[in-house]
Amino acid sequence: MEQLLELKLLWAALVAYVLCGSLAIVGVVLRKRPERSVLALLLLGLALHTASIAVRWDRLGHGPFITMFEILSSNIWSLMLAFTIAYWRIAAIRASAAVVMPILFIMMGWLMMTSPGEGHFPPTYHTVWLFIHIGFGKVFLGAALVAVGLAGAILLRRTARGAAWFQRLPADARLDELAYRCMALGFIFETLMLIAGAIWAQDAWGRYWAWDPLETWAFITWLALGISLHARVTFRLSPRTGALMVLAVFAVAFLTFFGVPFVSTSPHKGAV
Amino acid sequence: MSVADSAIGSRSAGVRLLRLAGSLKFALINLAALFVGVCVAYLSDSRTVWALVVPLASSAVNLLAAMLTNAVFRRQLPLLVFHLALLAVIVLVALGRLTYLKGAAEVVDGGSFDGVLATREAGPFHGDAIAALSFASHGFTIDYAPGIRRGATRNEVAFRNAAGRLETRIIGDQQPLVLAGYRFYTSHNKGFAPTFVWHPAAGGVPQLGAVHLPAYPLHEYRQAREWVIPGTATVVWTMLQFQEIILDPDKADQFKLPGEHDLVVRIGEQRWQLQPGMSVSLPAGRLEYVGLRGWMGYTVFYDWTIPWLLAAALAAAFSLGWHYWRKFAARPWNREQDDGTTA
Repeated sequence: MEQLLELKLLWAALVAYVLCGSLAIVGVVLRKRPERSVLALLLLGLALHTASIAVRWDRLGHGPFITMFEILSSNIWSLMLAFTIAYWRIAAIRASAAVVMPILFIMMGWLMMTSPGEGHFPPTYHTVWLFIHIGFGKVFLGAALVAVGLAGAILLRRTARGAAWFQRLPADARLDELAYRCMALGFIFETLMLIAGAIWAQDAWGRYWAWDPLETWAFITWLALGISLHARVTFRLSPRTGALMVLAVFAVAFLTFFGVPFVSTSPHKGAV
Repeated sequence: MSVADSAIGSRSAGVRLLRLAGSLKFALINLAALFVGVCVAYLSDSRTVWALVVPLASSAVNLLAAMLTNAVFRRQLPLLVFHLALLAVIVLVALGRLTYLKGAAEVVDGGSFDGVLATREAGPFHGDAIAALSFASHGFTIDYAPGIRRGATRNEVAFRNAAGRLETRIIGDQQPLVLAGYRFYTSHNKGFAPTFVWHPAAGGVPQLGAVHLPAYPLHEYRQAREWVIPGTATVVWTMLQFQEIILDPDKADQFKLPGEHDLVVRIGEQRWQLQPGMSVSLPAGRLEYVGLRGWMGYTVFYDWTIPWLLAAALAAAFSLGWHYWRKFAARPWNREQDDGTTA
């Protein structure tokens, strides 16, 4: 019964997200500004999604950290929350929703194809460091997603159609600067995520670092992000090059968060 | 060219070299080399420590040279703290790898750890303080969820604290026993230990010993092991047999010892089926089976750099946050021109 309620709330949230994303894309293509409706649908979707996660949490007695279904659901929630904050606070970049929402649609499609069955909550997960580690990771990915929206708009504006769609966004140099700031914020939280993860790993498995696949890929993501930020300081990169680097870092991060945990046989599974 | 000119020339060449070593471009090369090194180490089956050590050492040189030559570090304290912290992280990781210890130990219920590890991996400069450590295990409980999914582990241990007083403590998941910097963690390895007393025919003190059978339930169907009677060359093959369901997959359960069981003992062609209290008489003495106990496996870890490494890593993260805060607060993202107050 509770599982049915949880799924109904989730599907309702996904419908709200899809309506919101579709409206944002149509608004960009037709050069309309349905921003209030988009924001209202984002908030409605988030409220329903929060309720769904809460019902599941209460039913299972643990947070959404174990199965692919839970990890996808909680990450869609946190990415939506991050983008909603950006959408609400930085009105000038609202058109970037047309880039961000399709990425989230892919994750939602993946979620709908995943079994909502429950998993075992291992004893090593009974620690506050789980929440701290995952929380930092979610802030990193959320900041990277906002940067991806800006980077995507910069690259799409190189086509005539894209230039028309995204004409109301600030100049490429300004978008590039904001994307850089988002990635810098992400870098700090990625660093904190690695530190919190090391503290957790020390107590859970008796070592703070063991180069298991997820740790290695998280470090590769950190290095990719570090290289992209350092390259901006070292060279005067064009907005296009900066945008390509943002996309590359996000691709590595996406693989780390949603790919590696499920091909790894190490005890460090997808608690992200 | 005079001697003075030559000295000035070589000094300026040294400064140029130092500036080159501390340059942003060299830092980027090092980061890229570390990126490649991590990928090589991850994908390669052979020993590839050099792939990490070379770029890390080179990064340490770069960080040091940058702080010495780049004036921006004298103007921007957060940036200086960040680079110092990064350098400290690299140096501490290197020191940690030279002095660490990683190992495993097994202790039977009622027995004690006597400083001997079953497996051991240590840095070249690791001391041998662990040999002087000891603690006793008073037994353990492990919860299992339906489907034989391991839950909480609780292991009561007794040890002498720093004041020399005997102290007991429950350790388990997230709660290691820390003795002189060595951290003992309960592991998923645990099992049954048939316990014997060996009475030598020639007299002397009877010896108590336990045979650690393979981990249970990991090796549920391989509960047998060969061992040698102390002071003899007699090889004994021992197998535990029981009908009882130890961990019921259909309900929540706890790890427990089998109540009714037989212990099969084979020496050469001879075979005995023993129960607690029964003995086997051999030419060299009498082997008495006294009963079954549990054994707990521990992961042992030592690295004195951990708290310093944590402090350095946190200093790096927070100083970077401080640096970006100052830099970004000085100019809104949508303002065209830099006001010149930041690097």
